[in-house]
Amino acid sequence: MSDVNDRILSAVKENIPQDKFSIEVLKPDSLAFRTSSDMVIPTIKAILTTSDDATLSTISSVDLTDRFELLYHLRTLGTIATVRCEIPSADPRITSITPFIPGANFAEREAADFLGIVFEKHPDPSRLIVPDAWPKDLYPLRKSAEMPTPDTVFEDITVQETSANTNGTIRMKIVIGPQHPALLEPERFTVDVDGETVTKVVPRIGYCHRGVEKAAESRDYMKDVYMVERICGICNSCHSTTFCQAVETILETDVPARGRFIRTIVLELNRIQSHLLLIGHAGHEIGYDTFFQYVWRDREIVMDLIERVTGNRVISSILAIGGVRRDIKESSIPTIKDGLSKLRTRSEFYRNMLDEDLTLKMRTENVGVLSRKDAVAMCAVGPVARASGIETDVRLEAPYAAYDEVPFKIITRDEGDSWARIRVRADELLNSIEMIEYAIDNLPDGDIRVRTPRRVPEAEAINRVEAPRGELFYYVKGNGTQFPERVKIRTPTLTNLQSVPRLTEGGNVADFPIAFASIDPCFSCTDR
Amino acid sequence: MAGLDLIYFLRVLVFPGFVFIILIALFYDWVCRKIGARMQNRIGPNVAGPAGILQPLADIIKLFAKERLVPNDVRAILFIIAPILSFTILIFTTMFLPIDGNTAVTAFGFEGDLILVLVIVTLANIFLFLSGWASTNAYSKIGASRIIMQFVAYDIPLFLVALTPAFLVQSLSISKIASNQSIPFIFLLPWSFILFVILFQSELEKDPFDIPHAETEIVGGFETEYSGTGLAFLKLSKDVQLFLGSALIVELFLGGPYGPVFIGPAFFWYTIWFLLKVLFIVLLGEYISKIVARFRIDQVLSISWKLIMPLTIISVIATLVVKIWILPFIGLGGVLG
Repeated sequence: MSDVNDRILSAVKENIPQDKFSIEVLKPDSLAFRTSSDMVIPTIKAILTTSDDATLSTISSVDLTDRFELLYHLRTLGTIATVRCEIPSADPRITSITPFIPGANFAEREAADFLGIVFEKHPDPSRLIVPDAWPKDLYPLRKSAEMPTPDTVFEDITVQETSANTNGTIRMKIVIGPQHPALLEPERFTVDVDGETVTKVVPRIGYCHRGVEKAAESRDYMKDVYMVERICGICNSCHSTTFCQAVETILETDVPARGRFIRTIVLELNRIQSHLLLIGHAGHEIGYDTFFQYVWRDREIVMDLIERVTGNRVISSILAIGGVRRDIKESSIPTIKDGLSKLRTRSEFYRNMLDEDLTLKMRTENVGVLSRKDAVAMCAVGPVARASGIETDVRLEAPYAAYDEVPFKIITRDEGDSWARIRVRADELLNSIEMIEYAIDNLPDGDIRVRTPRRVPEAEAINRVEAPRGELFYYVKGNGTQFPERVKIRTPTLTNLQSVPRLTEGGNVADFPIAFASIDPCFSCTDR
Repeated sequence: MAGLDLIYFLRVLVFPGFVFIILIALFYDWVCRKIGARMQNRIGPNVAGPAGILQPLADIIKLFAKERLVPNDVRAILFIIAPILSFTILIFTTMFLPIDGNTAVTAFGFEGDLILVLVIVTLANIFLFLSGWASTNAYSKIGASRIIMQFVAYDIPLFLVALTPAFLVQSLSISKIASNQSIPFIFLLPWSFILFVILFQSELEKDPFDIPHAETEIVGGFETEYSGTGLAFLKLSKDVQLFLGSALIVELFLGGPYGPVFIGPAFFWYTIWFLLKVLFIVLLGEYISKIVARFRIDQVLSISWKLIMPLTIISVIATLVVKIWILPFIGLGGVLG
């Protein structure tokens, strides 16, 4: 990794005067450039020159009482480079980077919602996560914020949305969500339709916002593991793994090999169930309910395996800081292998169906095309980026758990359409099955867990995990107590969701559900 | 006269008229749901009656018991009467089909009733469209406009294909077409049969043509705003339309109700044969709808105009060739018409 860091460092040194920044290391091994708020944009632009695929991962914001700290985490050359600056909390203003990184839109609006930071020249500075009726000067992640009680009366912001079809044309506004058959979870998309063509899509999220980041600050690290796991039912163990790894990085704990292998097995089982869920759901979105029912029937095999391995069917609760809580018994290995071989047969069948079925292809090919350039601009991650030809996979870039020992191959496609996004996942399924089989065959002996102190020193760390939907990003800051100072969570859907307008605008309204579902949206994750 | 009136009365209202049609339409609805569910690895209806056979009836009764809700801003009169009219018209149309060997009112059929049936089915679709157009909901409007777009795409080929059996028999009377099939036309005109099944799939808005009420796109389509009685009539219309469509295919291609008569009255056996044949068509339609994904409206239009329409014209020409040259050549010319 060090030569990559050298390249980033030389790029910054070329463009920015030496006295304008200082270099730090953000655990585990990424560079951070501390600079002043007016030098943030030049520094970011300098880092972006290192690679064509360089883009923003997320923006972490921390309240340091008299000042706010902003950390721009940029993903380039397979690693994270951070630009950090401080702004006074009395007048928190900074120039927006959305004009040249469109994918920074949500990250900036989120910081504006949570900490009240004003991003100047932001093209759309409306609220993103907190409700429209939320008090104007209450910013939940400020340490001084007094949170409303159930008795608090919010202002009435009822808006009468007038339909635009009074002038006789069939140009109208369709509101998809918060409740809609195409959505599994509540979120709102305002879709302008001209006849059958989508002209504009405006997403509004926050319908399942539960304030997890705030709640994490008032619970100790042990409880936080279980809370972050419940952010999302589908990628639950990814959340707990990322959090545990971030804390382990701060504590400088080494997880025993057996623990890391079991983590890998759990994460891959998780990926399989999530991908099967999406492939089935995609069938439902295009009216292929038989496909949907069959895929979801076979998903039960992997749900049973998850129960066998972790003890729980949905929320695995197997992760702990320092390792895992439950060993894989020798006696259950034949069952797991049996289940995996069944799963392989079925997955191959569905992959072939995706290749061969006429109507499936008719509805997904050339639908919702995301070009490689757009994918970079909108900061797409995971299978969405890989389907547009970007080779990005945290498992490869920054191996965690046992991914440096378990062989795996990165799967990319160049089409960038809905079909490619689903097809990438079908291939990843088979890849995951092989990885689990390898991990079980080569499961090392030894402990599964080491004990860790409950108090975490005053330090910070970032951690990334390749969740089923893409890069899951955690920034954890400790303050010497058993409570974290700040837990910043950037979920893959939050950033992938920004691509949805590009995927759907100009297309047919009938393609909205499938183009949208093909990014595998998970709103519980998105809203936290 | 009084006795004759009573028979007419019973034939129209009970068998093979109103009550019989509704019950049998609900039965085929159950068949669709149960078989569809089993194909999808689900259980399907299993509570009301043995194997859930009474479920469609229970649904309808439940809907009739519900409050009648008319949303603000809808065109109230149209909103209320469109489903009822659509249902009535479809029930009326079934009276022209020989079900137990005769139409509901004996010898009610006339030369040209095939055209009448097809036109009335079209009219029922217009009422379904109006029911969506009457509500102010955006989903309903898009659903309604999709009905019309889809209807424009398949209606002309449907008429043309429906006329191919008529060419063979040289008659536009459904009864004559049905009774003149010593060899069912499915064997003589398989191409027409396949086209007709596909087109009726579209007429019935079943997959891959269930675009007007694609739930993941536009929620309930034209029926989004409906509840209670209105929804019940829309559901009944769909059920009767399924029966009518399948029955028409049976009349035109499978020899109608006619088949071997064993012990007992002929009309009993004819009814049995008819219901079995309709069941075959219903299962065929359900099978098709379960193994495909839904098309997009522009795909339907292009398939219809670029593929189905030329195929229809070719099938008409092929039918004429069969009629004029091939049948006389193999000695069957005199059998038909």
